[in-house]
Amino acid sequence: MDQQNGNTKKYGMVIDLDKCTGCGACMVACMAENNVPFREDDTDKLLSVSWMRVYRLGNGKPFPQVEECYLPRPCQQCEGHAGHSPCVSVCPATATDYDMRTGIVSQIPTRCFGCRYCMAACPYHVRQFNWWDPIWPDGMERMLNPNVSVRMRGVVEKCGFCFHRYQLATDKAYLDGRRELEEGEYQTACAQACPAGAILFGDLNNPTHAVHKIAQPDSTHGGRPRNPKAFRLLERLGTNPKVYYLSSKEWVRKAGDNQVQRTEQTPKA
Amino acid sequence: MEKPQVNVTSAASGHGEKEEGAGGAVILFFILGLVGSLLVGWVLFPQLLYSKKRQPVDFNHDKHMELVSDGCESCHFFRPDGTYSGVPQLAQCIQCHEEPNGEDPEEVKFVEEYVKKEREVPWLVYSRQPACVFFSHAAHVKMAKMDCVTCHGPIGESTSLKVYQANRITGYSRDIWGENMLGVKRKSWDRMKMDDCAECHAGAHVNPGSVQTQKDGCFVCHK
Amino acid sequence: MKIDRRCFLSFIVGGAAGTALSPLPWKITDDLSIWSQNWPWTPVPPAGETSFVTSTCTLCPGGCGISVRKVDERAVKVEGLKGHPVNDGGLCILGLAAAQLLYAPTRVRGPLKKVDGAWREISWADAIKEIAAKLADLRAKGQPQSVAWISESDRGTTAELCKRFLTVYGSPNYFRTPSIQDAYETALYLTQGQRAMAGFDVAQADFVLSFSSGLIEGWGSPAYMFRARNAMRQNGGRISQVEPRLSKTAAKADQWVPIKPGTEGALALGLVHVIIAEGLYRKNFIDSRSTGFDALKQIAGASYAPEAVSRLTGIEAKTIVDLAKAFAGAKKPLAVCGRGSGRIPGGLQEVLAVHCLNALTGSINQPGGVIAVPEPEYIDWPEPEMDAVASRGVQQPRLDGAGRDGFPLARYLLNRLPEAQTAGASAPVQALFVSGANPVYSLADTQAVAKAFSKVPLIVSLSSYMDETAAMAHYILPSHAHLERYEDVPAALGFPKPILGLSKPAVKPAFKTKYVGDMVIALAKAMGGPVAEAFGWESYEACLKQTLGNAWDTLVKNGYVVDAKFKPGEFETPSQKFEFNNPALAKLPAYAAQRAPGDEKSFPLTLIPYDTMRLASGPIGSPPFLVKALEETVLQQNTALVDVNPATAKDLGLSEGSAAVLSTPKGSARVKVHLFDGIMPGLVALPRGLGHTAYDKYLAGKGVNTNALISPVEDPGSGFEAGWGIRANLTRA
Repeated sequence: MDQQNGNTKKYGMVIDLDKCTGCGACMVACMAENNVPFREDDTDKLLSVSWMRVYRLGNGKPFPQVEECYLPRPCQQCEGHAGHSPCVSVCPATATDYDMRTGIVSQIPTRCFGCRYCMAACPYHVRQFNWWDPIWPDGMERMLNPNVSVRMRGVVEKCGFCFHRYQLATDKAYLDGRRELEEGEYQTACAQACPAGAILFGDLNNPTHAVHKIAQPDSTHGGRPRNPKAFRLLERLGTNPKVYYLSSKEWVRKAGDNQVQRTEQTPKA
Repeated sequence: MEKPQVNVTSAASGHGEKEEGAGGAVILFFILGLVGSLLVGWVLFPQLLYSKKRQPVDFNHDKHMELVSDGCESCHFFRPDGTYSGVPQLAQCIQCHEEPNGEDPEEVKFVEEYVKKEREVPWLVYSRQPACVFFSHAAHVKMAKMDCVTCHGPIGESTSLKVYQANRITGYSRDIWGENMLGVKRKSWDRMKMDDCAECHAGAHVNPGSVQTQKDGCFVCHK
Repeated sequence: MKIDRRCFLSFIVGGAAGTALSPLPWKITDDLSIWSQNWPWTPVPPAGETSFVTSTCTLCPGGCGISVRKVDERAVKVEGLKGHPVNDGGLCILGLAAAQLLYAPTRVRGPLKKVDGAWREISWADAIKEIAAKLADLRAKGQPQSVAWISESDRGTTAELCKRFLTVYGSPNYFRTPSIQDAYETALYLTQGQRAMAGFDVAQADFVLSFSSGLIEGWGSPAYMFRARNAMRQNGGRISQVEPRLSKTAAKADQWVPIKPGTEGALALGLVHVIIAEGLYRKNFIDSRSTGFDALKQIAGASYAPEAVSRLTGIEAKTIVDLAKAFAGAKKPLAVCGRGSGRIPGGLQEVLAVHCLNALTGSINQPGGVIAVPEPEYIDWPEPEMDAVASRGVQQPRLDGAGRDGFPLARYLLNRLPEAQTAGASAPVQALFVSGANPVYSLADTQAVAKAFSKVPLIVSLSSYMDETAAMAHYILPSHAHLERYEDVPAALGFPKPILGLSKPAVKPAFKTKYVGDMVIALAKAMGGPVAEAFGWESYEACLKQTLGNAWDTLVKNGYVVDAKFKPGEFETPSQKFEFNNPALAKLPAYAAQRAPGDEKSFPLTLIPYDTMRLASGPIGSPPFLVKALEETVLQQNTALVDVNPATAKDLGLSEGSAAVLSTPKGSARVKVHLFDGIMPGLVALPRGLGHTAYDKYLAGKGVNTNALISPVEDPGSGFEAGWGIRANLTRA
């Protein structure tokens, strides 16, 4: 696909749920990195914008057999079949796109006109709509990151694997006369911040990268992991996501196929 | 656009037998409307659309180019992290201009108003892009070996800074759309809109990544 | 020529045609679309040069290395410092949100004085002059001991400057806020003779038994514990969590053992019983490196057989035996205690019981064990000259009774101060300084604390924020925010090696603030006489630079100095051995499970406050990102949710989301019910860190302050704060 620039990248993530402590550092690292707005009352999670969200999964058993697991959920960067991920296929504004050279599903907020079709299409609830103008309390706008544009009211936003960090890393590489990035030169904010080291990020196509070695994606079967501990969310839908999860517990691996939806539907009292 | 015109004139001629001058009046008013709106669109509108601002200090690129050793990059340099410094900051200028070097009133103004008061000069940047645009100078200058002139024109040869025309609706410089109101591009640096970027990116230099457009990926230039 | 309707239409059509042939419609459409994508009220952060400042986080005692990312002069984000021995690039949720604290709307922007109940701006010079005059008055009256100082820490140059000020002024009343550190330091001193901080080599242990300690909920140095926990599990280590509630630490442990709250010490003694009875202890350590083993044998042997412990703790006898065998059978077992983040206090005997468990397996000052990390010794200032008033003042008994007959072991008993202040006819504290602490929010029974503080004629808050204590003060002399100043970080809590960090200013101070250290020096100089003479430094920075000496350059460059070759010292007891028994220990009352205060009939349930990483429960209020990151099972709109076992809720007639009133002997609050199978029946759990009345709209008025609902409990013998919970009732609202 990309002869001049060498091979095609497929940036992906491996999140080790045995290591994840559910602390939420990834969520806040993401918010601070990506200028995610906040509101006085952000407790309604269907209205709250958070690109990364840590879910609490339970094994559904009573005290004291109950077990819990925490599952960080960034955008799953679905490849679907040949880049036709659920959201990209439905966007009428070409505001979201799948990039075959990096495997990243980009979202360009200025292009979005807020129809929210993509939100309906996404099976992972990774997309959020800006119902309100983003407002920072007086003085706090000084912490905004110039490498990520601030989104206005009325558009959809989501995680893009911190692709501005990819842009900055390639800038540095170009200056050094390189076209290729080293493993680790491009890291997402959540992977960098995780105090438990639970999030690994790299090129799934590169056999020397840790994410490839651990997930062992099977390219002949839509990227299914060969590692028996690894799974992807809602694998059965064929969305071919690039976020792999690891868990030594079977109930967690099974929960990965339906729990995200169930938790989201927790009735609000 | 021609259809209604035909209808109107035919309707006018239908009644023309009774009133001789009516057809002429209709045509006259049509011409008045046409010429008036053309004047508004071509002459008045550009006057209203753009406000004219002078730069806070005039700058002579040509003179500086004679004095520096490394061309444009002497002042518009790459930072070690690969990002581009863009318009120089006071800290760089101070290296030579702590005190006025000559008697040029613009230089004196620069030293008195900005250097001595440690205020950054609020330069008006002709090529300023919206916040959603990521432009990599490294990719173009270092990797693709493009020269500055291709996009910025022969600004290095200018002896003074031209008037900055700010679009009252968008806030961006007239140089983004281009001097020409039709947006016709004669030289490669005449316009700086997304289509102009895409024109080159769709060419042989860059391979397509986008599934939606079969062109370059969106986030190559957006953030 | 007649102008009629047709002419008008013709004019319109001509105009339309002309307009279409002009650039106007096309250009205006394009411009409007650009405008609509860039509304002027949506902020555009200015671009600039990115730089990084290496520093140390001071938001908690964890001592993490940070890298502050700046764009020109703006601090954009705080990230973990790669290669730092404590956190190696990772950072906790609070540290990551730190830029929000720097730019918080609740920052106090300059010195304030309360006049007729309202804040008035005052100049630094005037504020210091007025306060100095009031202090001089008290001194002239011969009451220098009536000045007290409350802080979160008693180590490092800042705390030493404050203590030095009090000393030369003539007061012994410096207070550190209570935490499990009080009991740990005393336990190490009693059994090992070492004046040291407890470090925990979790990374090298292979079995960690945690008695309600939130290893991944802020206990010790949070980011270090995260890493160490992973490292030990990566090497095949196991974690057993003993805790009444399935905390995140319990959920991520290999085994969760639910226990009746407050009986953790009984379980520890039960394990000691089994280990001794079955001869599983490390004989070489007990025989050659310890004394008093028989006393322990007697205590644990007499009343802590598995069946008895089972009745106390609610854990099956077999589980107790298995746990003891697993612990003693491990190569490098490690037992830790201190509830939640370690800010929920605990009694001394409880810590001693757990510490003895470690000693039985020889896990003291060994890799994978409890390490006595010596207190830092780099502060070596000349003894100040003291005048007669000061000498007399410092000889007066401390207001909390610490270090005296009643409580010879304690150094600080802030928990006893509120009662001392309100008990007598005259209030003993006449002036109070508060720096780096928020006691009106964080001490148990906040109403009593507020009442006691209202009897202090002069409260000076040195907080950077308008917090609950600052709101009660008479003067606020705001300190720089943590990213605006130099400060030494003398240790990383719970880290098994001595490490010295330096916090550096990443940005220039934004407001008219003055760092605590500089304020103390300025105040001392304004006092004149021997007080001024004890502070010869020009500024805090000069003092710090001089104090750190040769280490300064390394600290500025790397942000830390670590003693990589550190070996724990020998025991410093008279016997030079680990003492299970000695006269001081013998004097302590025997361990007794700590009951929750309150009447069981009117309050059939027990309330246990719990810590979560997503809420700052210490002196700092959570920034907006933390509140935003809270789960919907913790906070809904402004109402906090309590965890209740479904069986208990059924008995109470409550269901998921029910509005309820939580009442305790100290007060009541409206809450919502969250049914949680991970909590023992009969308990109600409420997160700590909510219910602020101060701070901004993103935090204030949300949820309940657990400290307003619980009451202090005095640990018999030590006097330490030991209140982990209270009896409670939950009724349908």
